Amino acid sequence: MKKRILAALVASAAVLSLAGCNKGGSSSSNSTTSSSGNTSTDASTSSTTSEPTVDAYAEAQKAGTGVFDTAGEGKVFNIWCWNGDFKKYVENSGYKVPDGITIKWNEIPNEGGAYQKQLDAALLKQADAPADEKIDIFLAEADYILKYSNAKVTQDVKKLGVEQWATGYDYTYKAATSADGVLKGVSWQCNPSAFIYRRSIARDVLGTDDPDKVQEAIATWDKLDEVAQKAKDKGYIMFASPLETYRTFANNSKVSYVNNGKFATHDAFNQWLDQAKKYVDNGWSLTYDLWAAEKAAQMDVDGKMMACIGPAWYFNFCMGTAQDKTPGDWAICKGPQAHFWGGTWLLAAEGSDNPKMIADLMNAFTANEQIMEYILKDANEFPNNKNVVKKYAEDPNFGLAFLGGQNHIKVLGDMTDDIVWDTALHTVYDQTFNEDLPNNMLTYLNGTKSKEDAMKAFYDKLDDVTGGSIAHD
Amino acid sequence: MNKKHKSISYAKWGYIFIIPFFVVYIIFSLIPTLSTFYYSFFNKGFDPVSFEEYEKFVGFDNYVKLLSFEGGTNRFFSYFGNTMIMWVLGAVPQLLFSLLLAVIFTSARLRIKGQRFFKTVIYMPNLIMAASYALLFIGLFSDVGPINVLIKAISGDTFRFLADPWGARGVIAFVNFIMWFGNTTILLMAGIMGIDQSLFEAAQIDGASGMQVFTKITLPLLMPILVYVAITSLIGGLQMFDVPQIMRVSDTPTQDTTTMIMWLNNLITGASRQYGMGGAMSVLIFAVTGGLSFLVFKTMVTSPDKVKSKKKAK
Repeated sequence: MKKRILAALVASAAVLSLAGCNKGGSSSSNSTTSSSGNTSTDASTSSTTSEPTVDAYAEAQKAGTGVFDTAGEGKVFNIWCWNGDFKKYVENSGYKVPDGITIKWNEIPNEGGAYQKQLDAALLKQADAPADEKIDIFLAEADYILKYSNAKVTQDVKKLGVEQWATGYDYTYKAATSADGVLKGVSWQCNPSAFIYRRSIARDVLGTDDPDKVQEAIATWDKLDEVAQKAKDKGYIMFASPLETYRTFANNSKVSYVNNGKFATHDAFNQWLDQAKKYVDNGWSLTYDLWAAEKAAQMDVDGKMMACIGPAWYFNFCMGTAQDKTPGDWAICKGPQAHFWGGTWLLAAEGSDNPKMIADLMNAFTANEQIMEYILKDANEFPNNKNVVKKYAEDPNFGLAFLGGQNHIKVLGDMTDDIVWDTALHTVYDQTFNEDLPNNMLTYLNGTKSKEDAMKAFYDKLDDVTGGSIAHD
Repeated sequence: MNKKHKSISYAKWGYIFIIPFFVVYIIFSLIPTLSTFYYSFFNKGFDPVSFEEYEKFVGFDNYVKLLSFEGGTNRFFSYFGNTMIMWVLGAVPQLLFSLLLAVIFTSARLRIKGQRFFKTVIYMPNLIMAASYALLFIGLFSDVGPINVLIKAISGDTFRFLADPWGARGVIAFVNFIMWFGNTTILLMAGIMGIDQSLFEAAQIDGASGMQVFTKITLPLLMPILVYVAITSLIGGLQMFDVPQIMRVSDTPTQDTTTMIMWLNNLITGASRQYGMGGAMSVLIFAVTGGLSFLVFKTMVTSPDKVKSKKKAK
């Protein structure tokens, strides 16, 4: 009996902890198999515009229909990833794997750096691996994509027939481009990050839950402060985590964390830290981290959290408590400043024995509009395809039940132009800067440690990660 | 029957039967241990910028780095301190509590009923994976967990255990205590039951009190088992990793709960994978473990002799 109770508790603890799921979403989506069983795209072939890119795009829309010439291609197509999302999309979106080729998925969980560790080792041995075991495509996240895109272990996908489609969002291509300007991969998603607020609390605090009016009320950081004070007066809190606005500042920074081999905090970081401290000290924010069970609890029926910040993958996959307990009571607007958060890219491994298949898969998951509609509608992600986004943004009947029927594609679509990516500002250690640095500030923000001690703890972590190759104070 | 078998030499079969152990030991334990020593003299790792592995002989540089005081602080010693604090916080109460339970369960006077049941129950936490256990306790001690619901009902405010240096250390020590006291109790019970019952009977007839029996008979004769328990607990404690690693939420002060093995893990799983540094770290942990075990062994093992000589003197 005791064991059973313990087991139940362990299970519940595990569920709580899963609230902080991986970036890129988890498998809790309620997607059904794509209705687009027939993926022929004859309509696009008739296009005879003179502009070559359009022709190429029309051609690329046929990608994923399984009709390319497979002569010379390897029999096994190896894809390395850390969760089952992309596998699900490939299998359910209507993508046709050509006859004679089978996709082999190698899924290694992200925890403790295991994915990158094994991937790096395999990429270094790629030349000696048997043809059927050579990595063809592997997935990488925004925070460490530069490590791979800058390295010799990835290859120029333009040479394989992948284009930088005008229908794709510019920053997604910049992020997959090496420092010397070579495109190494693509992404099927785009991740503008929105201000996600609770409708019922907004009505109480602002007298309205209309996204346009809420946006007007919080359009600048100063205005957000005013609303935060109003919320506090009514017994609410603006955020559950002071880290909520970190990405907004950091991803809009004009300066890198590392200059001439030395780490230093930049203005954007300092602005964030000042703001975070102000929010905590004024009682506008709790002191939890982004994935804490305590934050999830604030999304429950009696939760007091007015807002959090995140892209489509965040509110669709990582707000489990809200999805279960308070669906329909949420809405999104742009927030004080546009930015992106996260994202998963497909990178082409050097030495692949399936170059045609790489091009086909990459074109399919950017240019094939039927597949991209699946990404939008069934996978609940924001697709990297302006045509598809436009179609749904203009559809008055389209909306998310979780957001009270709001058309989230329209809101997110309007933010995409303001997203910036400057490769020169990124380093191979971005993951440490974007996760460990703000996380280590929590002990300062909650008053346990001094700012110097909190910074010292981060420097220790930085030394461990970089092996001392990046200097600091 | 046994005697009959012993009379015929089957000794070679004994050696053959233990070959698998030695093969497995050499491949999976001895060779990695030796290579750890070897690589501790190298600057070996991975450069994520050039995407290349590197390996360069540096002599004792790694050890010098680990043991030097840069800017007045030394991470190795401070993490060693964390490890020892959390071990002592868990192991001392555990030893006392287990000793008490073991004496109660084995007491001929008390004759506790349902012993098997209790033994099973107290051993159970050890059957659950440390990771699941740590997760469970994160839930229990979180701000929205049952412990804080209780605290809030009494004091009106919550206490964020895992964000407080001593709160986090305390909870980690408590989890280790809960996980291991059953195991220790059973070991000590076996030790006590191994003591000649006639000694206890004689003491009873002589009119010794329960306390006298405990200090004069049980404790001295239990010493070898106690030494064994203390040393295994120390070795386990110095290698403390899973519980503090998992019981770390983002606002847990890392400088107060990082153990030696956690640092080792950070070194070899970080983007630059410092295997050389990790090797040196492992060798130091090996030395510390050996040294401390020897110390415990020396201080505890001499005491029964002293008791014996005292007895003789009487």
